[in-house]
Amino acid sequence: MSAKAEALGGAEETKLSPQFHVAHHFDKADTQFDAGRMGVWLFLVTEILLFGGLFCAFAIFRSKYFPSFVEAHHHLDRVMGGINTIVLISSSFTMALAVRSAQKNEKKKTTLLLAITLACAAMFLVVKYFEYSHKIHDGLLPGGNFTAADFASGHPGIFFAIYFMMTGIHGVHVVIGMGLILWILLRNQKNEFSSRYYAPVENVGLYWHLVDLVWIYLFPLLYLVG
Amino acid sequence: MSTSHAEHDHGHGSGNGDHVPHVLPFKVYIGTFSTLLFLTVVTVGASYVDLGHMGNLIVALLIATIKASVVALIFMHLKWDHKFHAIIFVSALLFLAVFIGITMSDTQFRGEAEAIEAKNPVDLKDPFKAERAGDVAVPKAAAAPAAAGSAAPAAGSAAPAATPAKH
Repeated sequence: MSAKAEALGGAEETKLSPQFHVAHHFDKADTQFDAGRMGVWLFLVTEILLFGGLFCAFAIFRSKYFPSFVEAHHHLDRVMGGINTIVLISSSFTMALAVRSAQKNEKKKTTLLLAITLACAAMFLVVKYFEYSHKIHDGLLPGGNFTAADFASGHPGIFFAIYFMMTGIHGVHVVIGMGLILWILLRNQKNEFSSRYYAPVENVGLYWHLVDLVWIYLFPLLYLVG
Repeated sequence: MSTSHAEHDHGHGSGNGDHVPHVLPFKVYIGTFSTLLFLTVVTVGASYVDLGHMGNLIVALLIATIKASVVALIFMHLKWDHKFHAIIFVSALLFLAVFIGITMSDTQFRGEAEAIEAKNPVDLKDPFKAERAGDVAVPKAAAAPAAAGSAAPAAGSAAPAATPAKH
């Protein structure tokens, strides 16, 4: 089997991920791929617990200051939030397809799909920018910078503190994700990825899907339910 | 392009030691994408229906969890991946539930224990002295006259019930 593959390979291997090799401490490429992916899953677990602390704060203060949360959440623009949800789901979709085209050695398609993913991420941040500037204008910043006075309930500032912290940390993840996708895109341009080796595409994809997954909870909790 | 046709189910450990990807059909991705868009519309629509204090929250979280499961199972390949990766992921969610659950079991009931303890004073230096008097229930008949009075003495009825054991 391996002799046949080598006979076939010769010319082939110079085309498919020529820089790729299995590190000597792994018995085969599958083990290396799985080890990397497991590492990313463990990292994603720490991400869940990072956002978990914020979700916990949201749960506690929502139950303590329910009228404030209901009143304050009406100041969020659910159309903008909904657009951003669709944008982020679309970017998750194109990211998943980028992994698929990398698996199928479709380099140009991978580049295109990664570029669309990047564009979606950028659009998400643009919408976020408009939302933030509107809220800053209304004086809804956290803590001592909360200057809005036209609230009937007692603690709207807490809602906006949690809103800015959760969407802010999520936004930082989007920015980091854009950097990672750009990195993958450039490496793809250098013919580094193929069906033999696409682990970085897959693993950045996992990260990107988690960013989407967090937003899937943030959108209804902050914008819809309050 | 020998490996590009390798759309078989196992995708592991075959041939020359190269990794062979498990390529899913395009329609799986399209189906997932449209499911997610559809559920987004449903969750926005559901938020306009007043389902009460907890109702809207539960519906929103339920739909979000369905969406998150679809993303994790299909886009993140957990459905076809090693079971161990799913165990890692689910254990994180369990720890998250422990984290939020135990924290809220504190914050939700703060200040309630003090009121109950005030009604049922315990001698901290001798918490088990009632044992010497015998571990018996205070007769209903003894508690009934106090309860028959006003609400305020009824609230204090536990304290007199505890006092006879002192003597």
